[in-house]
Amino acid sequence: MEEMILKLKQEIIEVLNLEDVQPDDINNDAPLFGEGLGLDSIDALELIVLMEKNYGIKLQDPAKGKEIFKSVNVMADYIQKNRTK
Amino acid sequence: MYQRIDIISAKQVSIQQPLCEEWMTSPVVPSGQFVRAMDPDFRQFVTPGESRRLGKLLKRALATSLSALEEGGIRNPDAIITGTGFGSIENTELFLDALVREGEQMLKPTQFMQSTHNTASSLIGINTKSHGYNSTYSQKGLSFDSALYDAWLQFRLGKIGNALVGAHDEMSPVFSGFMTKAGHVMQGETCSEAAVSVLLEADSTKPSMCTLEDVRILNRPTNEELSQVLSQMKADVCMTGRSGNAGNDALYDFLGDDVPQCSYKPLFGVNFSSSAIGFYAAACSLKAGHVPSVLNGGRGDVPCNSILLVNVVGGRHYSFVLLKAICGR
Repeated sequence: MEEMILKLKQEIIEVLNLEDVQPDDINNDAPLFGEGLGLDSIDALELIVLMEKNYGIKLQDPAKGKEIFKSVNVMADYIQKNRTK
Repeated sequence: MYQRIDIISAKQVSIQQPLCEEWMTSPVVPSGQFVRAMDPDFRQFVTPGESRRLGKLLKRALATSLSALEEGGIRNPDAIITGTGFGSIENTELFLDALVREGEQMLKPTQFMQSTHNTASSLIGINTKSHGYNSTYSQKGLSFDSALYDAWLQFRLGKIGNALVGAHDEMSPVFSGFMTKAGHVMQGETCSEAAVSVLLEADSTKPSMCTLEDVRILNRPTNEELSQVLSQMKADVCMTGRSGNAGNDALYDFLGDDVPQCSYKPLFGVNFSSSAIGFYAAACSLKAGHVPSVLNGGRGDVPCNSILLVNVVGGRHYSFVLLKAICGR
């Protein structure tokens, strides 16, 4: 799981173009939106695209994103359970 | 009704040193078929958080706009009017590449947003919290001229007291090749990038660079119409879009040789925002009281109190902009 979390952090940094952020700077349990990384609704769309492209997970209900993108730990757990590739 | 329109500030990012007028005395000599702009330190203008979603064109547009507004002492302009030939072409290119690669699936929203041409003007509006008139013109090499003409009309109608007018174009290696193939950049010319923002104010009480006297755009004019415009818009110097390419330069032969002519393209390269660079260079020249030697082929400074900017696009579209020095300078 640790390896998966590191990979996910690297993918988030790349897809959201977080130039000055290192994987270690992202707390596994910190909220991705609002506080923590301070992401916004466009970032949520980017993360939805990331999950579909890299893990074959298609979010049928975008509202679910609020729960899934709560933190890196929650997101990694969801990917682990639902990935198709 | 206003008495005059003053140009109170003008800023550029181009292949010359950015956000300064070092090019007037120590220019960078362009070499090669494609040269990218020299960027300022964007951290002065955007936070890293904002920066991550902005392409080069948008960062340059913000840098020139915020600098011009700061120098002009205006926070929220009445109008933001922008010209761009291609918009954020780098992100458009990435978006189109992804469209093909991913089979029109899973496209990145950021690249999609930036592929629209009005992103720069709206970004400036959001950043400066300006809720007034906001418009974008995409007319190839006549984009800036069209934006300026719109501002001119808005002033004349009394709808605005000041306006931020700009033109922003970036270029990618792939599109610089397309520009050459399509004949927009010709042999001997350097394909380049430019971002220019100018701040205009009616009857300004601030120190101004010069005044905007007249703007005209003509489509397929007759020789008689061209002669008429030249007789009505007399100036000490003509600043033209001559570039060193014989085919392009012949388009300006109708000007004759009665008035000294200078050109900015040999120094700043060629792109769809070139005429905005010409406007900026003319305003700087009038502020200095002379066109610098570097715009005159190194043949010495040309003293002047008025400059007529002439831009001919494709031999069909003509724009004329008359600028004059502030009286009593």
